[in-house]
Amino acid sequence: MATIRTRPEGSHRRTLRTGPGRSWVATTISGVALLVLLGVHMVANHFVVRSVGGLRSYRQVLEYMQHPAIFTIESLFLLVVTVHAMLGLRGILLDLDPSRRAQRWIDVGLTVLGVLTLAYGYFLIGTLASRA
Amino acid sequence: MNGSVPGADHRAERGPVLRKGVGIPGSGWFDPRGRALGGFAFSANRVTGLGLVFYLYLHLGVLSMLLFGEPTWNHFIRLATSWVFLSLDVLLILGILYHGLNGIRVALVGSGLVADRQRALWWSLGTVGTIALIGAALHIFGSK
Repeated sequence: MATIRTRPEGSHRRTLRTGPGRSWVATTISGVALLVLLGVHMVANHFVVRSVGGLRSYRQVLEYMQHPAIFTIESLFLLVVTVHAMLGLRGILLDLDPSRRAQRWIDVGLTVLGVLTLAYGYFLIGTLASRA
Repeated sequence: MNGSVPGADHRAERGPVLRKGVGIPGSGWFDPRGRALGGFAFSANRVTGLGLVFYLYLHLGVLSMLLFGEPTWNHFIRLATSWVFLSLDVLLILGILYHGLNGIRVALVGSGLVADRQRALWWSLGTVGTIALIGAALHIFGSK
């Protein structure tokens, strides 16, 4: 079968080093980390608890968050999920082909949104862990 | 350069049929009509991704109820264990499984590890996802 070369030789490696390539690599790495952390989060929160609907009671949530290992895992999970979400949103918005000025605003806006998300998430985790 | 790629002259024109097989256009990715399997998988990945971002903030909002103490949380638990909410949980698991497993496929294909097996990967991971979804649904509804 005849094939047509659509990109120059070696361009794949070059693309991974440039802006869009770096973003793809970051999304992929955070996605892989997320698979592990989300798996732990889901199983620990909903699949090992003996209660209706797999949801923890108020006391169970506080005891769960108090554990140092769980506190670390949940904190890491929040960080990775936020980074992955912001990178995903950025990819979708950049596909709309915005101007360079709009791209800068998108980057700033998503960074602010990500930081606010992390700040509130850590406030929530910290408050619950301290109540136990 | 334009003449070297089949259909390159038509890429700027609108319409899913003209774009079929040429690649994902800059806009209109959410319209899966007339696309090959890869295009459908791409659209579905973005739709589930947007849904999961929405859920992330919904989840943070729901967990905020814990700040108001035990009675508020218990009230929510009663609501969240209704059939409607548990069905939405299954929908959430569907989104997570699709986005996660398709993400594995995209990473494997995009990194060049299994660049020529993307259809096989889509179907095999789809089978794994379907089995996992059935298991999760049985667990969720079984606990009611």
